[in-house]
Amino acid sequence: MTATTAGETTLGKKPRIEPGLLSPYMFITPAVLIMVGGLLYPVVMAFYLSFYDWEIGRELQDAPFVSFDHFVRMINDPQVWEVLWVTLRFGFWVITIEMTLGIALALLLEKPIRGASVFRTIFILPLMVSPVVVGLIWRYLFDARIGWINYYLGAWFGIEPLVWLGDPQLAFFAIVFTDIWQWTPFIFIIIIAGLQALPSEVIEASDIDGANWWQQILLVKLPMIRSIIIIALLMRLIDVFRGLEVMLIMTGGGPGRSTELLSLHIYNRAFETQQLGYASAISVLLIVVVFGLSLAILNMANPMKTRSDV
Amino acid sequence: MKSLLKNGLLAAAGMALVASTGSAVASPYKPYEGTTLVVSWPSNAHFNAAQPLVEQFTEETGIEVEVDYLQYLKLRDRQLLEMSKPTGEYDVVAWVVMWKGEYVNKGLLTPLSEMYTNAGLVDPDYDINDVADAYLQNGGVVGGERGYLPGKSGGLYGIPFGAETSILAYRKDIFEEQGIEVPTTYDELRAAMETLHAAGIPALTSRGATGHQVTAAWLFHLAPLGGRVFDEKWNPVVNSPESVEAAAFLRDVVRTGPVGIPAFGFGDAVTAFLQGDAAIYLDSLKIAAMSRDPSRSKIDGKVGFALHPEGTRCGSETGGFALGIPDNSKNKEAAFLFIQYMTSKAGDQKMVDLGGDPVRISTLQNNADRFPEYSVVADQLPCADPDWRPLIPEWNELNVDVLGQALTRVITTDDPIQPIMDDANEKIRAIMEREGYYVWN
Repeated sequence: MTATTAGETTLGKKPRIEPGLLSPYMFITPAVLIMVGGLLYPVVMAFYLSFYDWEIGRELQDAPFVSFDHFVRMINDPQVWEVLWVTLRFGFWVITIEMTLGIALALLLEKPIRGASVFRTIFILPLMVSPVVVGLIWRYLFDARIGWINYYLGAWFGIEPLVWLGDPQLAFFAIVFTDIWQWTPFIFIIIIAGLQALPSEVIEASDIDGANWWQQILLVKLPMIRSIIIIALLMRLIDVFRGLEVMLIMTGGGPGRSTELLSLHIYNRAFETQQLGYASAISVLLIVVVFGLSLAILNMANPMKTRSDV
Repeated sequence: MKSLLKNGLLAAAGMALVASTGSAVASPYKPYEGTTLVVSWPSNAHFNAAQPLVEQFTEETGIEVEVDYLQYLKLRDRQLLEMSKPTGEYDVVAWVVMWKGEYVNKGLLTPLSEMYTNAGLVDPDYDINDVADAYLQNGGVVGGERGYLPGKSGGLYGIPFGAETSILAYRKDIFEEQGIEVPTTYDELRAAMETLHAAGIPALTSRGATGHQVTAAWLFHLAPLGGRVFDEKWNPVVNSPESVEAAAFLRDVVRTGPVGIPAFGFGDAVTAFLQGDAAIYLDSLKIAAMSRDPSRSKIDGKVGFALHPEGTRCGSETGGFALGIPDNSKNKEAAFLFIQYMTSKAGDQKMVDLGGDPVRISTLQNNADRFPEYSVVADQLPCADPDWRPLIPEWNELNVDVLGQALTRVITTDDPIQPIMDDANEKIRAIMEREGYYVWN
C-alpha cells in the first residue's frame, strides 16, 4: 500500500525532470568509477613509478627521479628482449593449439550425442582449478624423480627418466602443454555456446542446398561465429601476457630464462631484486605490446563493429 | 555498615596495590602483561616446532603472541612492507640472514643496544657468549667489516634462532655396502660420487633450480675450494680457477646425483635424500631432525653425519634466521623479552626437546649423547664461514639474475665453464659499478 503511494508520488514528479538527459550518465557512472579506480589508476601509477628508482622499504617521495633512464636501460637490456621472445613463442604455440583443439572439440560435441553433457563437464574441469593448484599438479606430474609422466614413459616405452622441468626445451614444452590443458576448455565453452546460438534455419538451408559437413563448418558455421572466435582469441592473448602463477610454481622461469614470461620477469624484477621502478618500465612495455597486438587483431576483425553493422 | 564497606574496599584496593607492585619487582614481564606481540616468521620445521614454547611464554608472562607464518621466501616482501609503514603490524621479525644488510640499510630495525642498556629487561643469566659466535655474527651483526661481517663498526640487530651451518649426511648402509670411507676432503668426495655412480646409485643430492637455489649449491663448494665472490676491493672473482672448479664440481654433482637436480629447490633436494634416492647430502644441518621424522623419512637409523669436507680450507655455510625488532614496533620492550625468552638457555633446551635446532654451544654439548649430529655441528661451527656469500644489498640481484643464470647454463649444458663464468663476472662488475662500489678506487 505504502509502496503504491510512493510510486504514485514519484510518478507525479516525473514530468518535471528530463529523464532522458541524465539517466545514461547515471547508469555509466559506476562503471566509469570502477574503470578509473581499478584500471586507469594502476596504469598511471606504473607510468609514474617507471620514472623513479623506488624500492619497497623506502618512502616513495624519497625515491630519486631518474627520468627516462629505466626505458633506456630496458631497450639495451638483452634479458627483456629474451623474455619477450619467450612470451611471444609461448603465445604462438598455446593460442594456435588451443584455438584449433577448442574449435574441433566444440564441433565434435555440438551434436546431441549420448553423454555429451558428461563430456562437456569433464572438458571444462581444468578451467575450474586455480592456477596455483594447476602449477603444483603439473609440477609433480612432470617431476623427474617421482612424476607419473616419467614413470609411465619408463614402464610402457622404456624411456629413461627425463628432467622435464630442468631442461630448457622440455620445460618450455611442459608449460605449453600445461597451458593447453588448462585453457583449451575455455575456447571450447565459448565456441560451443556460439555454435548453439546459431539459427537452425541457416543450417537447415545449407543442408537443403546440399552442403556437406566440411562445407557447412567452413562456409557457414565458422564465419557466422567469427566475432566470437575473435573475442576468444583476444582474451587468450591478453591472458598469455598476464600469465604468471603456473610458471612461477612449475619452474620459477627456469632453467635459465627458458620459461620466464614477461609478467614473471616483471615480478622477479619487482620483488626478487627490488627494482620497482625498472619493473614498472617493463610493465609499460607489456601494456604497449598487448595494446598493439589487440589493436592488430581488432583491425583485422572487430566484433563490435560487425555487430553495429548488423 | 557503610564504614565497614568503605574500609573493606580500601583494604582490597590496598592489597591489590601491594600485589601489583610486589609482582612488578618480582617479574620483569609484569609491566607488559596483556600486550599482544605480532611475530612474523617462516613456516619451517624449526619455527613450527617453536609453537609450544611460544604458548609457554604467554602462560608464564601474560604477554600474548600472534604468529604470522609465511613461506620463507615470501617473508621479505611482507616484512619490508610492514616495517616501512609509519606503524607496522609486526613486533618481532625473523629474517633470513641475507636480508639483514638491506633491513638495516633502510633503517627498519631497532639496534639491540637500545635494549641492552635497559637493566630492567636484560636477564643476567642470559649469557650471550654461549650463543654460537658464527651464528650471532652472521645473523645479528650488521655494519662490521664489509658491512655484513664481524668488526668494530658493527652493531647487534638480531639474535640467531633457527640458524644453521652445513654438514655432510650419508647413508651408512650404502657406504658400507660399497666399501666407501666417509669423505673428509673434496677429492675423496669426488671419488665417492664416482664410485656410487658407477654402481648405479645416485650420489649427492643438491639444489639446482634456476636462481638463488643453484647459486647456493655452488657457494657450498666455493668456500671450501678456496674461492670467493669478491676480492678485497669488491672486484668480482667468480671466474677465478677456484670458482670454475666449484662450478665444475657442481656439474659433476648433477651428472652423478639423483635425476632432476636442475629443477630441485631445497625441499626437493632433501626429499630425494629422505626417500632413499641419493646416498649423500651436503647442505643445512636441518637434515638431521628431518631424517628422524617418520612421516618424511624412509631412512631413519641409516644416516651418518660428518663434517663438511675440506678443499683447500675448511668452510661451511652460515645461514638460517635471526630474530629482531622492527623500528616501527610499538612494543619493543616486550618484543625484546620474547626474543630473550626464546633464545635463553632454557628456551634453547626446550627447542631441542621440541625438535628444533639449538643456537647455544652449551645446548649442543649437553645434548651430544641424544643426537649424533650435535658433536659434528659443534666441531663444524669453528669452520662456519661468515663470508661464504656476500650479504650486500645487491646480493639478490647478483644471486638471481647473474649467477643463478650462469650456473644453470653450467649444469644444463656441456658448454665450457670458463667463458660462462667470465661473462657472469663482467655482468657483476657492471652492477657493482652502477651501485657505486668503485667510487673510492
